[in-house]
Amino acid sequence: MGLEWLEGYGLFLPAALFLLVFTLWPAFQAILLSFQSEDPFGRGRFWVGLDNFTELAHDPRFWTSVWLTFKFAIVVALLEVALGLLGAVLLQYPVPGIGLFRTIFFMTTAVSTAVAAVAWGWFLHPVGGLLNRLIEGLGLPPQGWLTTPEWALYSVAAATAWQAIGFSTILLTAGLQDIPQELYEAARIDGASSWVTFRHITLPLLSPVLFFVIVLALVRGFTAFGQIHLLTRGGPSEATTVWIYRVYLDAFFNLRFTYAAAEGALLFLILLMLTALQFYFLGRRVHYA
Amino acid sequence: MKRGFFFIYLALGVYSFFILLPLLALFSASFKPAQEIFDPNLVPRSPTLENYRIALEKFPLGRFLLNSLLVAGLVALGQVATSALAGYALARVRLPGRELLFGAVVALLLVPGEVTFLPLYDLVTHLGWLDTYWALVVPFLATPIGIFLMRQFFKTLPQDLFDAARIDGAGHLRMLWHVALPLARPALGALGALSFLSAWNMYLWPLVVTRSTEMQTVQIGVNMILNEEAARWNVVAAGAILALLPTLVAFLVAQRQFVRGITLGGLKG
Repeated sequence: MGLEWLEGYGLFLPAALFLLVFTLWPAFQAILLSFQSEDPFGRGRFWVGLDNFTELAHDPRFWTSVWLTFKFAIVVALLEVALGLLGAVLLQYPVPGIGLFRTIFFMTTAVSTAVAAVAWGWFLHPVGGLLNRLIEGLGLPPQGWLTTPEWALYSVAAATAWQAIGFSTILLTAGLQDIPQELYEAARIDGASSWVTFRHITLPLLSPVLFFVIVLALVRGFTAFGQIHLLTRGGPSEATTVWIYRVYLDAFFNLRFTYAAAEGALLFLILLMLTALQFYFLGRRVHYA
Repeated sequence: MKRGFFFIYLALGVYSFFILLPLLALFSASFKPAQEIFDPNLVPRSPTLENYRIALEKFPLGRFLLNSLLVAGLVALGQVATSALAGYALARVRLPGRELLFGAVVALLLVPGEVTFLPLYDLVTHLGWLDTYWALVVPFLATPIGIFLMRQFFKTLPQDLFDAARIDGAGHLRMLWHVALPLARPALGALGALSFLSAWNMYLWPLVVTRSTEMQTVQIGVNMILNEEAARWNVVAAGAILALLPTLVAFLVAQRQFVRGITLGGLKG
């Protein structure tokens, strides 16, 4: 009995070791690296204070990436949440066979980033892609969805949001199911229309989960990498070189590891704020039945 | 009433169709012969397995899939194990500084993996793990989200169960094994499904730490096929469908675990 605490620490130890080495240490290093520079010939790194950040402040390409990333994340979040909400609301109707539709609506969760990227690469293909076929059918000119700078960012954003629809539908369905049924019955007795019910019962009561899903979608937008690497390689003419993609390019192609670390540290700040928001909404939502 | 049903089915059907469309087009392309590939029909006129044969012959897809299964399987097992142990300690053992430890775990939830990948890459290089399974597995064997979820779950178990076991003279290890874990099976399943899925989906990390074809996961394999077969989309499609199958089947079989895992762990997509 007296050694209970020893047993407890023993149980905690494996997780603690892994987290210390592979999460906490890299997190500190992520910050420290951003204040260092590399000797281009040797392997040594040395402190340079804020040099990386002053250089970043005057690097127009970096700021273009930041701007693209914000646009990208917002488009992803809007699409993902709008479609996820529509899906979750549709799934609320208890019609026979709804289970089958639930499986279909949730299915994109099983689709990895790489497969989603290929599916969209083909869907948006200039010649064989279905989207251009549909558009031609409507009498409009086909577009180079992934090859023109005006479209590429939005095309990749659509692919990113599509892959996450299952995910947000799942979370929003759970949120909708938590709304007490009595409220809907009361509204029905009062003769409220379905729009009034949605606007005055569903939306307000769903809002903590809704905001939570929005924040998650923004995080997804800020960190999307695979689909960009697969579909556009950051092009055409850097139109899809978002923040994280620039970190990757600078670290592994331009061989400026610590400069990339500084870019990453700034992204860290944004994500930190988003994750803190996420916690806030989680705190208002979580219950374990 | 009948009319209402009709509109609901119509809405559900239209939505399903558009959600599935990119996958249907991919599936259809994977069975189309080269001369048919640019035709808009979704049902191939002369379906063929030729694309699958080419994809499997030209690319070590079996190896890629095996690598992904191994990596995601080990990561899921490791996370379930470390999270169950640590979560139990934080929820059920009277530890000095327990709240502090829990606070530290919660603080680590704030660290996004996407920005620690550079220092982690550094670390893995120094350890000599580049291009090995070690690099793909070991950094992910414990996660704050797993510990957090298991701790929350163990908190909800009634104290009586543990008191009864304690009277019988059971220590914490035995209580964990005989009382807590059997009850935690749904939570463990959900966590396992969630961590398997996120390890299976990793892209940036395997892209930078693997070099040789033998070490690549299926996600990076898809990238390889896309690069080399850009002129033959039907072959690319076949490769992508093969890469999709394992998680699709897993999802259809264990949908409930996946959904639970995502609902509980929505915290980290």
